[in-house]
Amino acid sequence: MSFRDTMLDEYKEILKTYINDQTEQALYMSQKFSRKSIEYKISPEEMISLHKTSIMELAPDLPESLLLSLDILLEVMMSYGLAYREHQSLRTIQRELINEIEVAANMQQTLLGTQIPHISSVDIGAISVPAKQMSGDYYHFVSHENGAVSVAIADIIGKGIPAALCMSMIKYSMDSMPENSHTPGDVLERLNRVVEQNVDPTMFITMFSGLYNPGNHTFYYSSAGHEPGFYYNGETGAFEELKAKGLLLGVDKKAKYREYERKVEVGDAILLMSDGVTECRTKDGFIEIDTLVGYIEKYIHLGAQDIADKVYKELEFLQDFQLRDDFTLIIIKRTA
Amino acid sequence: MMDSSVKIINEWDIVAARQLGRNVAKELGFGTVDQARITTAISELARNIYLYAGQGEITIEKIESGTKKGMTIISRDAGPGIPDLRKVMEDGFSTSGGLGAGLPGVKRLMDEFSIESTPGEGTLIQSVKWLK
Amino acid sequence: MNISIDVQERDHQTTITLAGEIDAYTAPKLREAAFPYTEKQHANVVIDLSGVTYMDSTGLGVFVGLFKSLNANEGTLELNGLSDRLKRLFDITGLADIMNINPKAEGGI
Repeated sequence: MSFRDTMLDEYKEILKTYINDQTEQALYMSQKFSRKSIEYKISPEEMISLHKTSIMELAPDLPESLLLSLDILLEVMMSYGLAYREHQSLRTIQRELINEIEVAANMQQTLLGTQIPHISSVDIGAISVPAKQMSGDYYHFVSHENGAVSVAIADIIGKGIPAALCMSMIKYSMDSMPENSHTPGDVLERLNRVVEQNVDPTMFITMFSGLYNPGNHTFYYSSAGHEPGFYYNGETGAFEELKAKGLLLGVDKKAKYREYERKVEVGDAILLMSDGVTECRTKDGFIEIDTLVGYIEKYIHLGAQDIADKVYKELEFLQDFQLRDDFTLIIIKRTA
Repeated sequence: MMDSSVKIINEWDIVAARQLGRNVAKELGFGTVDQARITTAISELARNIYLYAGQGEITIEKIESGTKKGMTIISRDAGPGIPDLRKVMEDGFSTSGGLGAGLPGVKRLMDEFSIESTPGEGTLIQSVKWLK
Repeated sequence: MNISIDVQERDHQTTITLAGEIDAYTAPKLREAAFPYTEKQHANVVIDLSGVTYMDSTGLGVFVGLFKSLNANEGTLELNGLSDRLKRLFDITGLADIMNINPKAEGGI
């Protein structure tokens, strides 16, 4: 027998118990009853009707006025019932949306997947953690025939699904870039034209583009409004900002991107990051660049991937494990 | 088949439409809960006419199909029509405010529901409740 | 995470005074409040940011949007009262080179 068939008897029993001796037990039973009636989708107006039927059987001499009052209560509960049913259906829709986003997030991971290149004498590590399901950060490595490695790190302004869609576009224009045009300035100029034409005017992208040439151990780089990276001098232990001037992608289609270079010695490192790293907040305020540098310093003797992982762990801890922005950190360390 | 209509011009006509619906529902032997559902659906439809079309008509028909008995509520107006039917049938869209109200609410209260609307010509909504 | 937006229009100039935080939650509010003023021809919009304690990249996106809209309608945009942190954000992104940006006055006026 289903709940619908037995609920009148169950309810009458609870009501009778309570009318006879007002125990907490009966009240608890009614709480349990309401859980069950919600589970079986009994609407509020049905509950009022159930109540009226029960009380008429249990106490036949109730004044007419009291019974009539239940008609008003039933009518009033109609709108509550409708609101409740709408809520149920919206919950279903919400669950579907969450599932779709999960699928999309997995697709994004596959779509944007990039292999960290292995080249002799250089150790590369990278970590990227989204704040929400879909990341607005993007990084990409390309190994060239001459042994050089291109690296790009980008932050889409605007988060979530729109940013993710925008990123797929960036990814495809990067992939279709001709092999002979991988100097950092070129890459940015090409992408800037793509973004300027195709992206919503309120959406912008910052990008740092670099090229490591193991032939002369020089790092060439350009920036489109991106957070400057750091150069670590292994000999002196000093950190230096990789300052580079350049406008955000997508603001001015004629923007030019200057190229900079930095010689890298054995033991030196290049650190690139998204602004989620420098913009991350703790309950006491912002994380200062010095704090970040301190963490990197603490782990700089480790392998590149270990440094990235450990620094992330420290920042995660500082923020009480609640990331407010996407986080990406790339370490390029010359080992020989 | 017996049928009867109420013209909806001002807010009090909503009450007359409800009354007509309730009488028919009672006659057919609908219980109090279903009576309340049917009248609420009539209210919503009549209110839509009053608010958005200016005037129109609610018709109540008793129907039979095999051994089943029931009633149809027909709402007809020559108002501006509904440009995006999918949107008005979406939960949480109701412009008249109020959670769960609007046409999705009517659809939930009744057993069958159909809507036709032509922008500039008007809207016809038919909904059926069967006696169980 | 809140923002207060005060708009005053006088002598062909719209002054928008902001206070609070501009992030993913408040940026849409700012965009909605400020955008209509950038769509008039030859509008001059001055935004006072001296009360802004935090701004992330979403906030920056709003300013670029306002800037582009004003440019398209031959208007001007001036941003005043930027803290060092905010100034740095406009410097890094290259926006300081194309926008009219004035840092917080030392000692006040």
